[in-house]
Amino acid sequence: MEFDYPRVLFKNRKPDRVATLEEYRESGGYEALQKFVGGRVSPKEVIRLVSESGLLGRGGAGFPAGMKWSSVPDSSPFPRYLVANADEMEPGTFKDRVLMHVDPHCIIEGMVLAAYSFSASKGFFFVRPSYESSAHILERELEIARKAGFLGHRILGTDFSFDIVVHRSGGRYICGEASALLNAIMGKRPNPVKPPPYPTEKGLWEKPTVVNNVETLANIPHILRNGPEWFKGLSATGHGAGTKLYAISGRVSRPGAVELPIGTRFSEIIDEHCGGMAPGARFKACLPGGASTRFMTGEHYDIPMDFEDLKKIGNRLGTAAIMVFDHNTCLLGATLNLMEFFARESCGWCTPCREGLPYMLELLRRIENGEGREEYIPNLRILCKQVWNSYCALAPGAAEPVISLLDFFEDEVRQHISEKGCPFHAKAGH
Amino acid sequence: MLPDELKLKLREVIAGAESPREKAIDVMFEIQELQGWMSDEAMVEAAELLGMTPLELEELATFYDYIYRSPVGKYVIKVCDSTVCWLEGHQRVVDYLSGRLGIPLGGTSADGLFTLLPVCCIGYCDRAPAMVINKRVFGNLTPEKIDRVLGQLAEKADFSGSE
Amino acid sequence: MPRLVIDEREIEVPEGTKVIDAAEMLGIVIPRFCYHEALGSIGACRMCAVKFLQGPFKGVQMSCMIDARDGMVVSTTDEEAVQFRKRVIELLMKNHPLDCPVCDEGGQCLLQDETVSSGHGVRLFPGPKRTYRDQYLGPYIKHEMNRCIHCYRCSRFYQEFCGYRDLGPLQIGDRMYFGRFSDGALESPFSGNLVDICPTGVYTDKTARFKLRRWDLERAPSLCNQCSLGCATVANGHYRGVMRVEARFDSEVNGYFICDAGRFGFSYSNGGEGRRERPLGPKMAGAPASGPIALAGAREALENIAAKYGPEAIGAVGSDRNSLESQCMLALVCKTRGWLGPVFFSDPVVRRKTLAAVEALDGELAVSMREIAEADFVLVAGADPLNEAPMAALALRQAARKHAPVVVIDPRSIRLPFDFEHFPASPEEIEKYLGTLLRMAVEKDVAGLGKEGEEFFRATGFENFEPPAEMARLSELLGSSKRPVILCGTDVSVETTPAFAAECARLLRISGKQAGLFYLLPGAGSFGAALLSETAEKTFGSLIEDIENGVVRALVVAESDPFHFYPDRDRLERALSKLELLVAIDYFPSETVRRASIFYPASTIFETGSTYINQEGRVQFAQPVHRGGAPIRGGQHPPRVYSGLVPGGDHLPAWKVLWQIAGMAEEIAGGHGDISPQNFIPAALPAFDGLGAERGYPVDGPRLFAAKPGFRGKGGSAGGIGGERGEDPESFDLLMVEWMFGTSEFSAWSDSLDAALCAPYMSMNSRDAARAGLRDGDRVSVELDGGTFEIEVCVSDRTAGGVLVVPRHQALDWQKMKDFPVRVSAEKIRKI
Ligand SMILES: Cc1cc2nc3c(=O)[nH]c(=O)nc-3n(C[C@H](O)[C@H](O)[C@H](O)COP(=O)(O)O)c2cc1C
Ligand code: SF4
Ligand code: SF4
Ligand code: SF4
Ligand code: FES
Repeated sequence: MEFDYPRVLFKNRKPDRVATLEEYRESGGYEALQKFVGGRVSPKEVIRLVSESGLLGRGGAGFPAGMKWSSVPDSSPFPRYLVANADEMEPGTFKDRVLMHVDPHCIIEGMVLAAYSFSASKGFFFVRPSYESSAHILERELEIARKAGFLGHRILGTDFSFDIVVHRSGGRYICGEASALLNAIMGKRPNPVKPPPYPTEKGLWEKPTVVNNVETLANIPHILRNGPEWFKGLSATGHGAGTKLYAISGRVSRPGAVELPIGTRFSEIIDEHCGGMAPGARFKACLPGGASTRFMTGEHYDIPMDFEDLKKIGNRLGTAAIMVFDHNTCLLGATLNLMEFFARESCGWCTPCREGLPYMLELLRRIENGEGREEYIPNLRILCKQVWNSYCALAPGAAEPVISLLDFFEDEVRQHISEKGCPFHAKAGH
Repeated sequence: MLPDELKLKLREVIAGAESPREKAIDVMFEIQELQGWMSDEAMVEAAELLGMTPLELEELATFYDYIYRSPVGKYVIKVCDSTVCWLEGHQRVVDYLSGRLGIPLGGTSADGLFTLLPVCCIGYCDRAPAMVINKRVFGNLTPEKIDRVLGQLAEKADFSGSE
Repeated sequence: MPRLVIDEREIEVPEGTKVIDAAEMLGIVIPRFCYHEALGSIGACRMCAVKFLQGPFKGVQMSCMIDARDGMVVSTTDEEAVQFRKRVIELLMKNHPLDCPVCDEGGQCLLQDETVSSGHGVRLFPGPKRTYRDQYLGPYIKHEMNRCIHCYRCSRFYQEFCGYRDLGPLQIGDRMYFGRFSDGALESPFSGNLVDICPTGVYTDKTARFKLRRWDLERAPSLCNQCSLGCATVANGHYRGVMRVEARFDSEVNGYFICDAGRFGFSYSNGGEGRRERPLGPKMAGAPASGPIALAGAREALENIAAKYGPEAIGAVGSDRNSLESQCMLALVCKTRGWLGPVFFSDPVVRRKTLAAVEALDGELAVSMREIAEADFVLVAGADPLNEAPMAALALRQAARKHAPVVVIDPRSIRLPFDFEHFPASPEEIEKYLGTLLRMAVEKDVAGLGKEGEEFFRATGFENFEPPAEMARLSELLGSSKRPVILCGTDVSVETTPAFAAECARLLRISGKQAGLFYLLPGAGSFGAALLSETAEKTFGSLIEDIENGVVRALVVAESDPFHFYPDRDRLERALSKLELLVAIDYFPSETVRRASIFYPASTIFETGSTYINQEGRVQFAQPVHRGGAPIRGGQHPPRVYSGLVPGGDHLPAWKVLWQIAGMAEEIAGGHGDISPQNFIPAALPAFDGLGAERGYPVDGPRLFAAKPGFRGKGGSAGGIGGERGEDPESFDLLMVEWMFGTSEFSAWSDSLDAALCAPYMSMNSRDAARAGLRDGDRVSVELDGGTFEIEVCVSDRTAGGVLVVPRHQALDWQKMKDFPVRVSAEKIRKI
């Protein structure tokens, strides 16, 4: 890439293939494993370093990784499990896929180190069906790692054993939610389960289980090799830590996944790393962190893309999947499309989501089709509030685009109602 | 009836699990690989292998998007209809495929080769519009590319690899 | 104990109480759909939203998901919470069909109630309603999925609570469906509870479909009298018929649920077609007679017999389906009039086992079904809970769900809806297994018993017994348990086992455990019969001899049908035809009734107040639900008889008939020439007085025990007996057993249960079968002393060696065995 940025996770990125074990090792791979597992450094020390690094979970909620591991009680029973969440089914999100295709060993090493920190003996890669190619790669590389002594029975000749299997999902967005994911692995219906007990106390088969996003895990070897201070120093802001994989899609010139210091300004991401907006397109709004974040308008075009800064404007970094919409895009149409997704993927457990999302979908569809009524707008607002109090985070996430659409683009919505149709229809051609 | 070799293989798959149910999806995928879809008979047999009742397996089969409980073509073409593909013209892809195969969304071609379905975001937004055929993904779709892919399939080229 | 404030009222509740339950203790019923006390919280429906004003939680939250905590201030009436709940209703009603006018749930529908109370009335949603295809779920449950609000109660009840695996949640999102893999009868014998537990009309009682509107029903708290547990029910009457039976909550006995036999087995009370038509009119010499004439006629005939042969020539026969009222009256009549009896039992061994159980049960040991559910180890000895007392199986399941090991020692291939340990011991071996397991678990703890304890264990015959390997692990678990329960049956076990089980439970107590004891008895009235027959040693078997010898010339048979239970039908027929007088009082159209010289119709439990003492000594009362009479059915106009009487309304409680025909008006009277059971129960059963003193009659709830606590060192049958018998390849013990459907008198006369019947089969051990050259599914004829019967063979590894297990099934002509016990030699079993 033409810019001079620290590259950590994408260090070994090749345009056309997966980095090999050798390439990974040449770049310092498995050194952390040698040092911490091979050297029998105390697991507590691993947790301390990760906690100190300020690494926040990359799966969307931004939960501190070290804190999650340390919440496995010392006295809790064995076996303990670790799950790498590679479900990634939220529209717009694809950074984990790219990461798995770039440098799988970085994730594998991260998993072994994470497992070491709380004495897990078995790990699962939870992979969605459309990522079969990733599953393939992972299975192949896991075997290579096993042969090299980095995985499996008595890792590096120590008495620490940990192995990983790939678990293929049948494909549903809700399976990415940590507690639903555990049900999915156990072959139960993947409905979420509210804590307590937390999975770190009673997860898979009632045993302590940690679920981390694959990007979170991929950071671990680097943190342990280079130290927490180095990791914090990677950030573009004073408060963030590390780099971040941003997945940009939509109306930009070069969509794709890029690794940048966390907190890189939005403007820089779009203008410099994605080649600006697509030819002829003007920026209208984006969803800055995946389908369940709020529309962000040009007002914040310069915002540092970090957990904190987005929180300050009432938005979320989420999965850092940036979907960019241009002046020709009907945002009501986009919201309707998102709602189709969420309503279809609702697991059906709780009333607000199961019934509320199709309700919103119906209202949005009617407005888009020119059958809207004025009273649908206040009704949509109430529904957004209602689904906020759902069983899990899916439905509240689904409400975010809708409520922000009404907050920032109510005029556009009203225009649909008064003109009895979509004002963009003729222009955009979808 | 499931063929004996398949049953043998499935038993092996199941034996490697912490608990048999864990392999329910793998077992159904294996069966679909061979038979395309999960017929009632296949459900009953698979459930038995997994130590589940048919109802318990049905609870899973009907939950997931990639398990088919009605017959599908040899190639299940799923066109992504989520946001970015929508933005980048997924409807054009659907229309084109519909026209070429002579089937509507949800239909199966008369030769039993193709089924056309919508699918939610498949994680290839950087290559929108995209589609997934069986478990293989194709992005940056244009009519030419679609023709090429369909051509390959019609020749029954080996189709097990990954992109 | 947290203290919190709900709607400005303070309450202190036990740790772990959910806010929704805390509110209920204050009488505030927070709306809910998914939450059910028996199933716990899942937070799915979002209907129980309340506002948390102070404390660790803030804002609108689900009251079923949050434990009450100190300092909480909660409002159920806060506008925000009220609006939230109203919107939940709007969301649920979005797809709900407005079926109420044709829905059998109408009038007792939680959704209806909560919709009205929420204030939601105007439909805002502009879209269409969702529809589903319904499934056929068998003869009892009608499925109407369009009415579903997706609360998950049904699947959680069915799978988690009951342990059946053929009904569950399917699909996803707003396409969620609750049903089976394919059309077919539900496998669970507790499926009827779906009707009660579903908050809408998805599952309705098919047997009552379109026959009634809820608000037209006469309802009364009743009891199930189909097995010895005496589950609480609500009986619903209409048009002089019983329309349906529902479960009634009883925290100690059945909780919220009942079994399908109890729910659907009421139709005998309405009568059926043809031979099942209920005999509602009195008869003399086969011809209809008016009530007063029949009563006077019977009285006179009985007086004549007494004058001619002495009063002891009149035998009085009751049963275990008699109410306590009738049993007491029988006892009093025999005492004052000098009749022979009362005879409540057919078989002397069963009588002694029942008496032993009743004598052994004391207030310390006796546990209820609730306590079984809380046990941490259960030993089932000689009992088949699912078949003999279905709800006990459900109580066991609740214990097993909380990881209590359940060990079953029984010759039958017992099935239960959970994982358990089974030792297929022959009846003679049960004590050996039980005693050995116990000895291994607590011997060191009961060393203080010295010689007595040693003797006790020796009597189990453990010395020449090589316990199965599993026992070591199980005995350790039993040793470390705190609340073990022994559940002991009285059907297949040998005579000494009930007393032996009690001693085992006492030993567990001595070893420091909160041990409990739970018996299963033959019938709903068995406990009462045992209390009242301590003095009368007679059984029906001996009565037959008395008839044959000419000692007994007349029988008064109250709610009993020897043709149902007596093992030698030919002999029975001969004996009865020798009688000069047979007076029958019953509600079943039984063979005895058909042969009676004088018949008087008895009221059923639905028509007269009836007391039953269940197997744990609990005195319970069933209120009458209606006056009864000839039911008004479709196509039948009421007879146009101008009379002040209800058509078909001659029936009387059996005790009242007895009172009249025995001419007891002088001895027991309550003024106005009528009596109440209050006037005579205490006379027959003094213990009852103590219970009733402060309550009067009826008595409902307290327990009555005949025994005093304390170890008696009563050994078993000196174990060794059985040992080798199971291995005798030449002959088998025939074990006649109960099935949940098809063996009881209720099932014989209730057409509503026909649909649940399955064909009888004979179980035998696989080694025995191999030796006898039989295979699973073979049809065989079994030759008995009095003839042969034909039956299918079911081979199982879990049936004990040396026994043939056969149900006393109504479709089986089994009453050819002359007498118990029966041994069948191998060559008498022929393949056909
Ligand atoms: C509906 C829903 C879908 C989710 N999908 C994913 C996912 O695909 N991948 C992921 O890593 N986290 C996903 N999450 C977040 C997970 O619940 C969980 O927070 C995360 O995997 C934890 O990893 P982290 O701490 O490393 O971020 C999802 C959450 C919700 C509510
Ligand atoms: S919000 Fe409710 S219905 Fe939606 S996915 Fe979560 S639990 Fe399921
Ligand atoms: S069928 Fe009834 S009990 Fe079951 S989920 Fe639907 S409403 Fe609830
Ligand atoms: S368990 Fe017994 S008492 Fe209870 S409902 Fe069933 S048959 Fe009646
Ligand atoms: S009763 Fe609390 S969420 Fe249903």
